[in-house]
Amino acid sequence: MSVETQQSVATLRMPGGLGGLLPALILIGLFFVVPVLALLLRSVTDPAPGFQNYAALLGDGTYARVFFNTFLVAAVVTSVTVLVAFPVAWMLAIMPPALASIVFGVIVLSMWTNLLTRTYAWMVLLQRTGVINRALMATGLIDQPLPLINNLTGVTIGMVYIMLPFMILPLVGTLRAIDPMTLRAAALCGASPFQAFRRILLPLSLPGVAAGGLMVFVMSLGYFVTPALLGGTSNMMLAEMIAQMIQSLLNWGLGSAAAFILLVVTMALYALQLRLVGVRRATGGV
Amino acid sequence: MTQPFLSIRKLRKAFGAFTAVHDVTLDIPRGEFLTFLGPSGSGKSTTLYAIAGFQDPSSGNVLLEGKSLLAVPSHKRNIGMVFQRYTLFPHLSVAENVAFPLRVRRRPEAEVKRKVADMLGLVRLESFAERLPGALSGGQQQRVALARALAYDPPILLMDEPLSALDKKLREEIQAEIRRIHRETGVTILYVTHDQEEALHLSDRIALFRDGRIEQTGTGEDLYLRPATDFVAGFIGNSNFLAAEHLETKDGASTIRLADGSLISGINANGAFSSGQKTRLMIRPEAFRLERGPTSAELAVEIVDVAFYGERRRIVARTAAGQEIDIRPTSAAMASQEATPRHRRVFFDPGAAFLFPA
Repeated sequence: MSVETQQSVATLRMPGGLGGLLPALILIGLFFVVPVLALLLRSVTDPAPGFQNYAALLGDGTYARVFFNTFLVAAVVTSVTVLVAFPVAWMLAIMPPALASIVFGVIVLSMWTNLLTRTYAWMVLLQRTGVINRALMATGLIDQPLPLINNLTGVTIGMVYIMLPFMILPLVGTLRAIDPMTLRAAALCGASPFQAFRRILLPLSLPGVAAGGLMVFVMSLGYFVTPALLGGTSNMMLAEMIAQMIQSLLNWGLGSAAAFILLVVTMALYALQLRLVGVRRATGGV
Repeated sequence: MTQPFLSIRKLRKAFGAFTAVHDVTLDIPRGEFLTFLGPSGSGKSTTLYAIAGFQDPSSGNVLLEGKSLLAVPSHKRNIGMVFQRYTLFPHLSVAENVAFPLRVRRRPEAEVKRKVADMLGLVRLESFAERLPGALSGGQQQRVALARALAYDPPILLMDEPLSALDKKLREEIQAEIRRIHRETGVTILYVTHDQEEALHLSDRIALFRDGRIEQTGTGEDLYLRPATDFVAGFIGNSNFLAAEHLETKDGASTIRLADGSLISGINANGAFSSGQKTRLMIRPEAFRLERGPTSAELAVEIVDVAFYGERRRIVARTAAGQEIDIRPTSAAMASQEATPRHRRVFFDPGAAFLFPA
């Protein structure tokens, strides 16, 4: 593309210079920046000015457990998602294009299905008398129903299911860019399938894994619905705690502080990703 | 009888209803540079892939020193290969690319270091060891691929159109490099190309493929000077085919009648012909002379066009029967003929002409 064309595109986008952007800037300011600032303000003024909300959150064992649990769930969900998504993405990358677009369609369709519906469906499947436990007991594999719900297992299953498309899509892009002949070359060089995977395919797909992984991790950190429905009281996540503080305890100050900490962590992770893989890859090339 | 080094036995490969390779049988002695030459879709790459283990043949066998390779997976065949596209590992440096086959074989570090240095020396890229493949030109990448394929001293090196992505000048440079490396290492090379000049420059022997079969195997000279079929004659070098009626053949020398009624005898016959059979007479453009020789046959033509091509001139001429032929005398031979008459005779040695069925 020539410089000239790029310039004309730029002029097209901003016909009136910065003035044309004003309505958009006002909108973003009003609905995004102001609420975040209000949140920050509330966290240091409610019920009284000072950092007592942050001190309480960071100094208390109960809250620390919630923070820890939030990161634990996000880490477990991200790891499992990567493990499940990788083979699917690889299959999609090497599939004939016509078939791949059908599979893509199925994956995207699941993203469009209502989140609550999907989570309730998992509740039906995973409960003590659910389909999975009854099937396993009928085949004689287990005597007692497995504890699949109201614990970390349930949250992981439900969330991995929801996060999979966000991992698969960037990963397919990365894997498609790898020339399959490279792997044939590796095989003829004497690399066993496992060696070819570990030394060639995996390193080459790392940018996709990193992009998808961080997206899933960040989304998981603030997730509410699935942990609330499939998780147990002993492994509460941050979003649930914030909901409780504000809805049940009406403690706006503490809730705001917790929300703000989550925001800072998320942004720090995003900044880290930008630093590591660059803007184009971090945003999926948009 | 001595056992051939590499032996391809009755190899057949079908993809559904389409048979890519019909029946290929070929013995390759150790150290030979053999080229599979043929148009695209003639089965030459499929045959190579069967040797590499990327495709299982439908039937037939591939034997290396008497042992079948078919049950051996690609990564245990110990075969080197250079591909059409550069298949270097983009995340590894040049040195690590060359070291890769040794690392997966868990060779000791000292040996890996020494071998990588040797190989980079062989392809003259010592100073590029720490670069990533992306920072190299196409020709350099293909030389690294060559070094990587030879690093583990494979008994056979397969090359699948390795120069087709390079421009002409670079191609000639790497051709010379490949010849030198073949000389220095003595590795047995199976080389696939659709470029006849490349095949003629490089190979000890050429197997010419057509529609999944080998049409003729021989040295470049065999194929050029003694083509077994009209396909070989048409594929290797340039050829003129003139319609001719076969009259008789005695001791391998045929007498024919051309469309203008002239009789020519002493022609090489490829096969048995009956009297009166329609045939095609093949004459190379450079076999035509402008002066009569001691054994010359002659042909009356009308000169249509003369063009200067440096060492040769190219004459487009029309026979009395209205067929256009291509004549390429050396420019020196032509110099005295500047005032070419439009109608004249051209001459050829019948011993350099071949008769094929029409």
